[in-house]
Amino acid sequence: MAIDFPLLSLLLFMPLAGALVCLVLGMGNSTAPRWVALLTAAGVFVVSLLLCLLQTPTAGWLFYEDYRWIEQFGVRYTLGLDGLSSVLILLTAFLQLLAVLVSWRQERAPGVFFALLLVLEMAAIGVLLALDLILFYLFWELMLIPMFFLIGVWGYQRRFQAAVKFFLYTLIGSLCLLLAVISLYLLHGDQTGTYTFALEALKQTELSTTQELIFFFCFMAAFVVKVPLFPFHSWLPDAHAEGPAAGSVDLAGLLLKTGVYGMIRFAFPLFPVAAQKTLPVLAGLALVGLFYAAWVAYQQVDIKRIVAFSSISHMGFVILGLAAWNQTAWEGSLLLMVNHAITTAGLFVVVAMIEQRTGSRSLDQLGGLWKSHPNMSAFFLLFCMASLGLPGLANFAGEILILIGVFTVKPLWAVIAVGGILFSATYTLRLVQGTLWGNNCEPHDKQDLHSREWLVLIPLAVLVVALGCYPQPVLDLLREPLSALLLVGGMP
Amino acid sequence: MNQESLQSLLPQILLALGSTAILLGGAWVRNRRLWLLVGALVAIVAALVAAFVEPPQIDILGMYSASAYARFCTVLWSLTVAATLVISCRYVDIFRFGGGEYASLMLFAAAGMSLLSAATSFVGLFLGLEVLTLALYILIAFRHGDTRGAEAGMKYLVFGAVATAFLAFAIALIYTATGTFNLQAAAVGLQAGDGLRPLGLAGWALLLVAVGFKISLVPFHLWTPDVYQGAPAPVSGLLATAAKGAVLAAFLPLLVMSGEGIADIKAILWLLAIATMLVGTFAALPQTNIKRMLAYSSVVHMGYLMIALIVAGADGSRALLFYLVVYSLATFGAFGIITTFADENGEIQDYDDLRGLAALHPRRSALLAVFLLSLTGIPPLAGFFAKFGLFQAAFRGGYAELAVIGVIASVISVYYYVRPVIALYAPESASVCRDVAARSETLLLVGCAAVIVILGVYPTPLLSLVALIIP
Repeated sequence: MAIDFPLLSLLLFMPLAGALVCLVLGMGNSTAPRWVALLTAAGVFVVSLLLCLLQTPTAGWLFYEDYRWIEQFGVRYTLGLDGLSSVLILLTAFLQLLAVLVSWRQERAPGVFFALLLVLEMAAIGVLLALDLILFYLFWELMLIPMFFLIGVWGYQRRFQAAVKFFLYTLIGSLCLLLAVISLYLLHGDQTGTYTFALEALKQTELSTTQELIFFFCFMAAFVVKVPLFPFHSWLPDAHAEGPAAGSVDLAGLLLKTGVYGMIRFAFPLFPVAAQKTLPVLAGLALVGLFYAAWVAYQQVDIKRIVAFSSISHMGFVILGLAAWNQTAWEGSLLLMVNHAITTAGLFVVVAMIEQRTGSRSLDQLGGLWKSHPNMSAFFLLFCMASLGLPGLANFAGEILILIGVFTVKPLWAVIAVGGILFSATYTLRLVQGTLWGNNCEPHDKQDLHSREWLVLIPLAVLVVALGCYPQPVLDLLREPLSALLLVGGMP
Repeated sequence: MNQESLQSLLPQILLALGSTAILLGGAWVRNRRLWLLVGALVAIVAALVAAFVEPPQIDILGMYSASAYARFCTVLWSLTVAATLVISCRYVDIFRFGGGEYASLMLFAAAGMSLLSAATSFVGLFLGLEVLTLALYILIAFRHGDTRGAEAGMKYLVFGAVATAFLAFAIALIYTATGTFNLQAAAVGLQAGDGLRPLGLAGWALLLVAVGFKISLVPFHLWTPDVYQGAPAPVSGLLATAAKGAVLAAFLPLLVMSGEGIADIKAILWLLAIATMLVGTFAALPQTNIKRMLAYSSVVHMGYLMIALIVAGADGSRALLFYLVVYSLATFGAFGIITTFADENGEIQDYDDLRGLAALHPRRSALLAVFLLSLTGIPPLAGFFAKFGLFQAAFRGGYAELAVIGVIASVISVYYYVRPVIALYAPESASVCRDVAARSETLLLVGCAAVIVILGVYPTPLLSLVALIIP
């Protein structure tokens, strides 16, 4: 709060401005939009990096903005940034930069395409900053539109079905959230006389246990669909399979994260009693999802779908950590979320490169890429190893923290979850074996990585190794905000 | 009628006189665009007069009122008509309409709508409604030799005549029961149990039938898709926005002022609202013609607006007026885009013909997407706060079940609203429409979209305005 300059609004509106410029330039010129998008994404990345560096390891908001907005409804424009948001915003900005680079050769309506990517970035950042429930909901819904069009217009054969499925699933969840937000607002207003959507004020609302449970379910409906938690996941594989590469990177890296963020920032603190009561259910679903998704991933032939299901499986792990409700597990969950975003983004990027070169994503037709494209294959192997939780690479650090945290509360859950790692090893190895080794397929494009692809993959690979060996900086940022959030809920 | 009442009715008089003048002038000078622009100018002047000239008296002969609310409505309808005239400039050239007649009828319709929403007695109401409907009969069938247009005109005429009969009979019954033509007194009289209550209730029921036809509530909606499809696109736009809005606006003060006056018919309204939302939604799903889809969409939105009518009170009226403005902007915009896509071969209506248009017409395609998404209620477009206000009012008024049904209908509506948008952005192009939009058309539609976005991000000004003028 020491800095008066509205840095958060700048962060929020920079992508929007970039999007507008992209739209205008995209009318006549096909190369200008991508440069605008790249510059904007880079700018957002620099600002968010700056915000992370300015962060001090204390609880509370480092930056906070609060303005009047719609007085008739008691809606305010309130943004706040703490360590938790800044880590996730940095991740968002980083992945979005890569998403722009990945779609560098976009030829169909590039202006609109890059504008949508930037609007998506703005919405994701807005979700991570908003502290007023309507503002939050606004950004939450705003994420849908660009993603819908990215899949529905720039996707593959069955894109319309996939896009509509994605839209309907998430919209149904969101509207449950909206109904709950409105009722909570009216309830709070009737109790106190001030009608407001401010998160801090609404936390003070007195609710009976039944009311709390109903509200909690409505909130969670929106969040678990986005995560996605088994059995609400069936939109995700289709969205990934039919969406463009940048869409997959954004889905895995941005959208899924907001679901977990919504839980720990909104659902748990607003309804702590209901949250405590439903933790076992959450853990149960997470465990089932962990195994089920891994099992389904093992059955897939399309390599993009394998990665999509692995993503569901990992998110099961993340939710399990949340259900343990202690500091270690929560830190592990958030860390795994960040790491998973990076490794999965890497996997999707390489999958897109493989498809470009071979024209196929089917395990039946792929094979022997290690010989023809050694560099690309090496990156693929690295991300796969990280994804299955090899010590020293990214995902391991998060998974081990979750397991330790869960073990201290419910040893049985942890024991079952360890089996999940074994499952993930099986499908990952099948993925590696089927694409990199075995029969040679006949790629029509013999070129190994070119310079732009190196530029995308190297930062991802460096982060995978760095976060695997030394995750401390991220954990430092997460510690205080998470313990504050845990405190609100009280210990089980 | 003294000079003060005349002065208070100035906007309506301007519209009617302008209309007559254009009709006469059109017989001498056969320049289509000229008359359309003159007509738009007259409508704008009328809107300005209504907005800024303080009327000397509020009550005009016990038939009309010049309250802030009535003037607000006049501004809205006049501006809608002005916008419709501007957007029709190229359209009337393509289809060789008589420009003078077209502009003149549009202004007559504006005068009718303005009288209708200013009515305080049944006589005024009836007059306003008939002026509006008579103009619409002709406008709907304006394309000579077009069979669909003729069919649409015929349908509207038959249904309209029946509705008028219902309305006349309803007024007779209500008058018999309460002994007054005054809307408010009639409602209060019914509440007090004066006179012949059963007769009065029967009158209200018949009145609901007539209104149900005009704003196409289920089960009186069957004419809507055929008429919207057959009528010229700008006229369909007017039908879906101002023509319905004027009828709703006429009944809003009735429900708000009379308090519990017509609590008896609230149960019927409740049923009508639910039926309208659900039937409209499911009927819209299989449509593959954008005008028919918009027709069902207008049915669904009337269902939403019924929620606001049922909730009534300050909350309900605020939500209703805000919703009406936002809905009209988006629907007018959507029909406006269809208007600009028209060429000698006719209008582009089927989704198959829309395929790939975005590559040829990126601006108009993006605008259509904005309008349809606003109708869906996706933030940050104005449709979101409109629905938000509505559902919030429903919750507050104790009609949570209506809000929940409304939310479900909105979820389903995504499907039929995004289908044309996806068609627009399809990679292959099936369309032959190569016409470039006129600058005035683009400007007007961009303006609509801009207002939708601005109200979606910052609805405060319109909300405060609406709160000020609530009767």
